[in-house]
Amino acid sequence: MDIKRSYYEDIELFKSNTILVWSILFLVFLGILPWLVKAYHLLGMSIYILNLITINALVAIGLNILVGYTGQISMGHAGFFAIGAFTTVIFIVNWSFPLYIALPIAGFISSAFGFILGLPALRLKGPYLAIATLGFGMSITTIIKHMEFFGGRMGLQAPKLYLFGTPMKDIHYYYVIMIIAVLMVIGALKLIKTRVGRAFIAIRDSDIAAEAMGVNLTYYKTLSFAVSAFYTGIAGGLYALILGFINPEGFTMIMSIAFLAMVVVGGLGSIMGSIAGAALLTYLDIKLQVVQDIPAIGPALVAFSQKYMSMAGISNIAVIVYGLIMILIVLFEPLGIFGFWIRTKRYWKTWPF
Amino acid sequence: MLKRDLVLVCLLALAAFLMTTPVSAEQVRGVTDTEILIGQTGPQTGPAAAWGAVARGSGLFFKGINDEGGIHGRKIKYLLRDDGYQPAKTKAIGTEFVEQIGIFGVVGCVGVGPGMSVRDYYTENKVLMVSFGCSGVTNWIQPFNRYIFPVYQLYVDEAKALTRYFYENMKLKKVAVFYQNDDYGKQGLEGVERYEKEKGLKVVATVSAEVTDRDLSSHALKLKESGAEAVVLWAMPTHGALLLAECAKIGYKPQFGTSSTLSDGPLMMSITKGLWAGMINSFPIETPDSNHPLMVKYRAWHQKYEPNERWGTFYYSGCLYAEPLAEGLRRAGRNLTPETFIKAMETIRDWKGAIGAPITFTPTDHQGCKDTRFAQVQPDGSMKILTDWVRITK
Repeated sequence: MDIKRSYYEDIELFKSNTILVWSILFLVFLGILPWLVKAYHLLGMSIYILNLITINALVAIGLNILVGYTGQISMGHAGFFAIGAFTTVIFIVNWSFPLYIALPIAGFISSAFGFILGLPALRLKGPYLAIATLGFGMSITTIIKHMEFFGGRMGLQAPKLYLFGTPMKDIHYYYVIMIIAVLMVIGALKLIKTRVGRAFIAIRDSDIAAEAMGVNLTYYKTLSFAVSAFYTGIAGGLYALILGFINPEGFTMIMSIAFLAMVVVGGLGSIMGSIAGAALLTYLDIKLQVVQDIPAIGPALVAFSQKYMSMAGISNIAVIVYGLIMILIVLFEPLGIFGFWIRTKRYWKTWPF
Repeated sequence: MLKRDLVLVCLLALAAFLMTTPVSAEQVRGVTDTEILIGQTGPQTGPAAAWGAVARGSGLFFKGINDEGGIHGRKIKYLLRDDGYQPAKTKAIGTEFVEQIGIFGVVGCVGVGPGMSVRDYYTENKVLMVSFGCSGVTNWIQPFNRYIFPVYQLYVDEAKALTRYFYENMKLKKVAVFYQNDDYGKQGLEGVERYEKEKGLKVVATVSAEVTDRDLSSHALKLKESGAEAVVLWAMPTHGALLLAECAKIGYKPQFGTSSTLSDGPLMMSITKGLWAGMINSFPIETPDSNHPLMVKYRAWHQKYEPNERWGTFYYSGCLYAEPLAEGLRRAGRNLTPETFIKAMETIRDWKGAIGAPITFTPTDHQGCKDTRFAQVQPDGSMKILTDWVRITK
């Protein structure tokens, strides 16, 4: 069943009719999801949280291309995220570009920075690269802070966009973001299966062996950074729009690390894992504190936390549980959520054996 | 294969239905016969966690109000959520407040970035924002917004008034500015420059520091060389302490003056080892040990409900920021809607609670506090009030 007879079969998106049907069903589900959320508050979600999850998923995919597929590390993706956000807003506000032009421009400017950051990455590895990228992320926000052009520390207000004359709300952004996300996910899936993706994976597994096989390290390493930054830049532009206001203080080192956590928890080297990781961590980050509303257990936890930790109350517990979930996933399933998926699938297929 | 898929679909559908809870329709969002729902987002974790005490202070206030029987037969249900000072999270919580829980209004919501991310969303959904942002930036009053009732004194006007106080009351002719290079610090600088421009004077020196700077010796030297007799200090507590230490080291002792954000006298005295004494503070709220009857009552509440909290400036100012909301609810009466609340708030004229400065809201102007007063830090860390209320805004 899994025998491939030509290269084109391997990059085919829908390998069987079952997958095709499920994919279409999934797209339909994405289409009606806002209504479900609005009518039933599925899992306590709002459309805005869906948007945020999708945006984080785009960043996680971009970062996974770099970390999971090419084996490089970046702790500065909040920098690319900020570049995307600020350039999108500036192109729309200052030079009145429409969104569908401003957003790709932001993506390309971000990927240009990715290319530049990719150059030192040629000589740096592991922890050294981590520190270099960390520095990049922090210096970007510092530069933005000091340039009045970017609004300085006061920040910029994102423009109000109109769709056929009506101001865009979360639900409109949902469809814009979702269409972009679906296209970019397909793009990433294809990229990984083709020559470029295979070169990335070869570099990850052993860069010396890859070079010996004729993979141009300079080209592919910088390309990986650029592609990763492109995804993050686009996501940053969308983030600025749904938030309505951006200032450099919002793009912290913690944010970069949170992106990395999404990739690791989701599963290194897996596009679907990135999406799952982004969804899980974004959701937990926002929703864990709802525990305090549960009768009896909630107040007990708050009291416990205030007595033994600090007056902040439930947040202490939420932070600990959040960290604990991350540790447990990485400990018991090194492949992350994607690993769970594979195991479940295998279990399902071979049931009842 | 098909059968198995069908089972899966059924399971998914079942799960989806089990997880749902339909919302009941009500007439005014966040108001029932017995309750008013008020939300608050404040950083309890992350870099700005210290400001989280403000949000908890408001909680104390509402506890006290509820035990007194609530307002017009309704208790206040206060929902405090931690946004970690991340704007994206603030907005996520905001959508939860509006779309799922259904709140009547919010109080506080510390920070410019977090506040700005929800300002327009709350406005579209007619959420009342009282004491919004907890900061004296102009984002809350420009452009004019009917739903926002900020109270904090504007930094620009505060700095301008302080400069005037130096020139006119203390007869100090050479004034310099030391500010932190961010929006907060720059508003201090702008205030000083506005006064000097009006009077045709010149600031003798403007020295700025980055938030991350830890060595302020050259800054202190620059101030000394300028020969300034008075220095307007618009920075965070750490920088205030560092600068005073450096100035003392080189034997430079000008008259310092600073904003209301640095008004925790005992704290500043302890971190500067006594150098803070003599500081002129803009001090618009009641002192922590004030004999104001309301402050006495709040301290009793503090002892009764939350004795583990430190009665610091942040914590009790949380109490004070909730006052205008309670006053508005009282005035609006039993028939509570966003419209009646706004109308009621806009009847407030020169109203005085423990918050100190008189509060006025009019249909065209929602800047609550327009006055401050100046106080001097005493060697024991307490505040000696020097002036009566001074009108600083318009």
